[in-house]
Amino acid sequence: MSRLACLSVPLFPLAARLRSEPELRHEALAVAVGQGDTARVTAATRLARKAGIRPGLTLAQARARLPKLIARPRDEECERAAQEALLEVAESFSPRVEDGEEGLLFLDADGLERHHPGESPEEEMARALMQAAESRAGLPVRVGVASSKLAARLAAARPHSPHVIAAGMEAEFLAPLPLEQLTPQAKTLATLQSWGIHSLGDLARLPRAEVISRLGSAGQELHTVALGEDPCPLVPRNPPPTFQEGMELEWPLVNLEPFLFTARAALERLAHRLQGQALACQRLELSLALEPDGHHERSLDLPAPTRDVKTLLTLLRLDLERQPPGAPIAAFQIVAHPDRPRRAQLSLFGPEALSPDKLATTVARLFALLGDDRVGSPRPADSHRPEGFQLVPYAPPPPPRVRTKGRARGGFLAVRVLRPPLEIEVLTEAGAATEPSTAETSNTSEGPLTEQAHPPSHPRPRALKSLAREEEAKRLQIDGRIRVASGPWAMEEEWWGKRRERDYWDVELAQGGLYRIFRQRATGDWFVDGIYD
Amino acid sequence: MSKLLHRLVHAPEEASEPAFPRALVRQIRTARDLADRRRREPTEGSFPTTCQAFDHLLAGGLRRGQMVELIGRRSSGRFSLTAMALAAATRSGEAAALIDLGDGFDPRTAEAFGVDLERLLWVRPRHLKEVLTSAEVVLTSGIPLVVLELGMPPLRGGRGAEASWLRLARRAIVQRTALLVSSPYRVTGTAAQRVIQARDGSSRWHGRGASPRLLTGVSSTLELLKSRARELTPRQGDREAIALRIEDIPGTESRSPTPTETPATGAPAPVETARRAIA
Repeated sequence: MSRLACLSVPLFPLAARLRSEPELRHEALAVAVGQGDTARVTAATRLARKAGIRPGLTLAQARARLPKLIARPRDEECERAAQEALLEVAESFSPRVEDGEEGLLFLDADGLERHHPGESPEEEMARALMQAAESRAGLPVRVGVASSKLAARLAAARPHSPHVIAAGMEAEFLAPLPLEQLTPQAKTLATLQSWGIHSLGDLARLPRAEVISRLGSAGQELHTVALGEDPCPLVPRNPPPTFQEGMELEWPLVNLEPFLFTARAALERLAHRLQGQALACQRLELSLALEPDGHHERSLDLPAPTRDVKTLLTLLRLDLERQPPGAPIAAFQIVAHPDRPRRAQLSLFGPEALSPDKLATTVARLFALLGDDRVGSPRPADSHRPEGFQLVPYAPPPPPRVRTKGRARGGFLAVRVLRPPLEIEVLTEAGAATEPSTAETSNTSEGPLTEQAHPPSHPRPRALKSLAREEEAKRLQIDGRIRVASGPWAMEEEWWGKRRERDYWDVELAQGGLYRIFRQRATGDWFVDGIYD
Repeated sequence: MSKLLHRLVHAPEEASEPAFPRALVRQIRTARDLADRRRREPTEGSFPTTCQAFDHLLAGGLRRGQMVELIGRRSSGRFSLTAMALAAATRSGEAAALIDLGDGFDPRTAEAFGVDLERLLWVRPRHLKEVLTSAEVVLTSGIPLVVLELGMPPLRGGRGAEASWLRLARRAIVQRTALLVSSPYRVTGTAAQRVIQARDGSSRWHGRGASPRLLTGVSSTLELLKSRARELTPRQGDREAIALRIEDIPGTESRSPTPTETPATGAPAPVETARRAIA
């Protein structure tokens, strides 16, 4: 006979609300269903119950008894997220978990007691379940353990939790309970009561065949349950591929800051749930319900799986700042697409491997700070221009097993590239500044070099002068007489086959400084594109 | 423990890859050797830059947990020294980060220098405030060498508050990260452990008179301006000369004057020497 555990959250709508708004735990709070005058209280906190607030009261009646009562509507989003969190806690104990909805679930507890040795292993296991649900899902649960679902559920409903029913004692446990516990149809209940059957024990003692012949399949099911047997087996659920959190807001939010404050709590709960499954977030989806109607949906692809709340929140903030929803936010839902976090093995002799989790968080935060076009691993570009480059996602290979001596080639002179090239004025050998001219421009229409009958003349630079443009006033200033000039060079790749666009020169100024400059053949403009440094 | 080491060292030959690196079999016999080796290793916890003069002034290399400031005007060789440090670290298998304010890093040149680009994280902030924030973020990642290249003057965003630099230095100590700040002038205040200045470089050209000129390199002098270390050498004020040369870069195109064109200096014969592109 298999053993089942039932987890039940008392006053589930209230517990789910308090999970989303933990600051209300010590307030007089009531959860109500309905609109306006028809709104009725369904659950209330201990403080509110002490003041006489009971389920079934209208909200107006409840407020009359306790003017400071805080009322919240039932929030399906909160309850769904709380149920998911509870299921995830149960799935960390057993892979076979059935979703009973609204704060109820069953799990296959066969063999779990072996992990909790002691005088009463099943009770220890049930206590561990309660602690895990409290600490990881933020929900107070009651646990019942039995061999049938009904017995486990009714055991979980007992005030003193956990309650364990020994195997084979289910019928004895159920016998004194009233028939209403089975929630039969009203007609069937009336028939049974007319026979003088008032408890489950009375029903169990009736001959099965006689009950079936008089009450049909409904009677057969009731009789089976009353005997402490399950009419249908446990149906394990398939875990969803995503993690969701969200809530309906008390009033529509117009500003970003209060929304992010609320979203942070939801992200923290998400991160907690992901951590419980040893997962990280690879993709984040934000869905906003807008006031009075409309939706706004955003999707963020993370550079690497992470569950760092600060990073996720920063990315969310930047994305919303870039594309604001355009209307007050009435409700939100955050969906995390999980992925396995990257792992690395430490080495005794080689360089230390980077923690993939830390690195992913770092890259994500840099993305959020600077933008995705400003962070990455550089690569030479497949371009004919020397200033070109590519950025690819940073994913360093694992370090070597043994630390090696660097085989770098030292002692070389590097070029500091100016991006974009800085436009300058150049005085040439003839003494005239080389501003764009029609004569120079006409030279640019010539064909490939091999076909040049009369190569163009190359004005030799004599002095550089920064252009006094307002936008460039704060940039690098390069002025002075040229001491040595070397050129023109053809640096662009495939210069022999294509039309050359630039003539490069290496120049040294009299007051110091080595520059790489070029002249644009098409326009005759001069630019500094690098500094030898 | 020694039995375990023995088993690791003398792994069965049929094993494709023994658990203990063969390169260390002769050096390490007991477990104590492991600890001793780490203690004795002179470069443990430091990143030699392959530039002898620079390494001498750094007492072996860029050390973990220390902030070093390298200052120098344009064409002093400062940028080449940072590239060398990155090349040496990444070639030895370490990850490195370059926070490049001037956006002057050229991947093609760096690859020719020996920088393993796969191990290099390149961050391109827009101004100094972003540099400082990015550096704080990168320092938490565990990357052992972080280089802040502040580009050429005027720095975008001023010099930064000294408190920010002190915080970075503190974080470098906590994270055991070698932090190199390359700047045209001093910005870190009292935060840096060592300050080295690259004095104005002098260029070297091939060719005289009317003949075509070729840039062959730059000579410069490094001076230790400040050191808070307790070693006897190097001392404050020590100077070392460095010579940086332009080298062929494999895989790039030839950079010679076009044969059909007149050389810049007016000499009749074109330069025959093929040179490789710098970038």
